[in-house]
Amino acid sequence: MTGITENIWQAKTIAQRATEALPDSVWFALGYMVLGVVGVAAFIAVMGMGLIYAERKIAGHFQCRLGPMRVGWHGIFQTVADTLKLLLKEDVVPAQSDRFLHILAPLFTLLGTILVLAVLPMSPIVHVSDVNIGVVYVGAVSGFGVLGILLGGWSSNNKWSLLGAMRAGAQIISYEISATLALLVVVLFSGTLRLSEIVESQAAGWWIWRAHGVGILAFLLFFVASLAEINRTPFDIPEGESELTAGFHTEYSGMRFAFFFLAEFINMFIVAAMTATLFLGGWMPFHIGDFAGFNAIMDMIPPGLWFTGKTAFLVFLIMWFRWTFPRLRVDQLMRLEWKVLLPIGFVNLIAAAVVVLFNFYFFPVR
Amino acid sequence: MMQTTDKQENPARSGLVTAPELKRHGFFRNVFSGIKSLLEGMKVTFHYLSHPSTVVTQQYPENRATLKMMERYRALLTMIHDENGLHKCTGCQICHDNCPNASINVITRSNPVSGKKELDRYVWRMDSCTFCNLCVQVCPFGVLKMDGNFEGAVYDRRLFVFTLNQYAGPAAGLLAKVADPEERKKMVEPRDRYSGPVPLNGQELAGVKALKKAESGCCGGSGGCCSDSEELQGSHRSKEMK
Repeated sequence: MTGITENIWQAKTIAQRATEALPDSVWFALGYMVLGVVGVAAFIAVMGMGLIYAERKIAGHFQCRLGPMRVGWHGIFQTVADTLKLLLKEDVVPAQSDRFLHILAPLFTLLGTILVLAVLPMSPIVHVSDVNIGVVYVGAVSGFGVLGILLGGWSSNNKWSLLGAMRAGAQIISYEISATLALLVVVLFSGTLRLSEIVESQAAGWWIWRAHGVGILAFLLFFVASLAEINRTPFDIPEGESELTAGFHTEYSGMRFAFFFLAEFINMFIVAAMTATLFLGGWMPFHIGDFAGFNAIMDMIPPGLWFTGKTAFLVFLIMWFRWTFPRLRVDQLMRLEWKVLLPIGFVNLIAAAVVVLFNFYFFPVR
Repeated sequence: MMQTTDKQENPARSGLVTAPELKRHGFFRNVFSGIKSLLEGMKVTFHYLSHPSTVVTQQYPENRATLKMMERYRALLTMIHDENGLHKCTGCQICHDNCPNASINVITRSNPVSGKKELDRYVWRMDSCTFCNLCVQVCPFGVLKMDGNFEGAVYDRRLFVFTLNQYAGPAAGLLAKVADPEERKKMVEPRDRYSGPVPLNGQELAGVKALKKAESGCCGGSGGCCSDSEELQGSHRSKEMK
């Protein structure tokens, strides 16, 4: 099955290109590195603004409103104006706060986001670095997010912030278990931790439908648990406006608040992209086994578009959830994780192991 | 004894956690009914998203020309004038008496021809009005209505107090009985928004068109006060009201 990808796509990361260019010219290698760094930074800025605009428009129409309409055509420059405002705003640090940690916290949160973006395979060529333990790496560095939230809540010296941060800590640590259990299912199927190889293992079909329901269940578990991990509604109790003012970022203003906000929205993209990569084949077009004619037609759509389409759909789904579902109470949240998702996740993992053991799924890899 | 029965009747107060997923068969039923109700909610919101006609937002300053307020919206108090410019007010002053904050002053006079009591000026204080609609409800003749025109902002507070009726004279029903048009003309006298016993009293104000005095005996007012023009010239807003 791996033959399909090798024939059509030359998957090559920017890091690989830099390594190959190094013997010839240091400057060329350096150029690739700068390209990677600037690319990720620009991606964060543009994607952040785009997602915020999309969210506001979609939220508006979900609630019989219009969303931003005044700045530019249908308000397309609204987020640009908002970003400029946030850049120019005064950055207030409370007098009684732990100043160093208060300043550090948003950077930690954004750092986790940036580090994940570096390993996401967005297309065979748009891929900064391919880590051989990609799945574990993503799980690990996204922990920076909760670290930033905890630091921000603690250092603000505000009861709402602290409560929000503690809630976020409990929530994220709990839901990471379910997310990882669901993620392990895909690792079992593909037999690798490397994200690019997980994508290529889906050349015969996406994992969501190849494993008789196990994939669908794992997909749902991972999606729900990831939503909770990024504090996205209906799991936004760390922010819970009605209870905690704004939760962990109550005391943040200006650019530091913007960092939290940006990280939140890019995390939404990352969850969608990771779910797409693991269960919907990432940039892999929709293939059905050896059905060559059909596969060839699907290959006409470039892989970058496949990735964009899948991610956009999942992002839309996340927004749809947000503007439909009510927020969970703290005890309901914990009950959902420990009494519902976790047992299902364990059973699903065992089922996946059995499926893999007997090669019981469509178009086995090995 | 009392406590034990209470526990049996109300498990929530017994201190035991009674979550449906803990019961046998309850787990999957709980999960599936939860998913079902979530999907129902998503269906509702998707209907709103996919049907732009459900949007209720008004792009107000832009759609000012086409904006249509709701039937029951209560803004400026208006006296209903029919197509001949006649109102049905008899000057009975029931609205005047019923106004909870004395925002209405109904001034009557006796008709120069028939000598009967009739409406002279219907003065409304918009600044003290709470738009409670009582005047509209108590009026036995259906003279008044709360109009949908909500653009009541003005640059001078004197403009908040103005006259609602367009003529002083008998109500439409009585006037219709007078056959002679000359006679009818003698019975009525034009009234406009900002002349007479209102704070502006016929004075000119920047942004408000020259207000012609229609009554005699107020020549202290400035500008065009004693003009013999019969035509009423209200402010730009009074024209909108028509």
